[in-house]
Amino acid sequence: MNKEEIIEALKTIIEPYSEEVTALAHIDENTDFINDLKINSANLVDIVLDVEEKFNIEIDNDSMAKMLTVKATVEIIAQKLEAHAGQ
Amino acid sequence: MLGNDIVDLNLAKIQSNWRRKNYLDKIFTAEEQLLITSAKAPDEMVWLLWSMKESAYKIHNRKTGIRNFAPKSLSCTIHANTYGVVSIHNCQYFTQSNVQSAFIHTIAAPFYDKLEEIKFDIYALPDHPVDYKSTQPGCVSHHGQYLALVY
Repeated sequence: MNKEEIIEALKTIIEPYSEEVTALAHIDENTDFINDLKINSANLVDIVLDVEEKFNIEIDNDSMAKMLTVKATVEIIAQKLEAHAGQ
Repeated sequence: MLGNDIVDLNLAKIQSNWRRKNYLDKIFTAEEQLLITSAKAPDEMVWLLWSMKESAYKIHNRKTGIRNFAPKSLSCTIHANTYGVVSIHNCQYFTQSNVQSAFIHTIAAPFYDKLEEIKFDIYALPDHPVDYKSTQPGCVSHHGQYLALVY
């Protein structure tokens, strides 16, 4: 999966948790889940769990701590997928 | 520095399914999970602990300049009369919570004695003051129906 494909899959995950229609339409690497998409912090956990299920990876607490932006999340997913592939 | 966090319990009910597999384990320590599973009102306990963590994080974040999402690193203990302590690394924050049927509101301070001095206002829709920022609140929390300000 390349970066663009990961962002596309991530968009589908994020959509149900944000009501910011304009910000959702313009999601890019710099989008911030809380500042831009106004996602409730309790729903960030749902995003982490959805990411785990969708990509079949495990997000440890240190990785979860960084998952506040699209950029950081895509990087973590790519890393975990790569580690997975190497096993 | 002050912290505060309000949870609209009616919104939380529809917005978050904390019974989802692995949900609690991502947020709560083993001790906190035990408090939840043994509570008479587990929903209330989930959001009480959550508002304690959030209110303490709001101080810790400004104090350290570190922005992250690490709710499990904030560890809560609850004392009598919904007073509480939230610990993270070598910092401690003191909290007091107000548990109502429609919302849970927690105030947080870096010193226990400070809690007594905190003044707060809670507004329900549609009565949110438009110009609340001009009153220079020490911390703002907004969820669902509610706006909570501390001074």
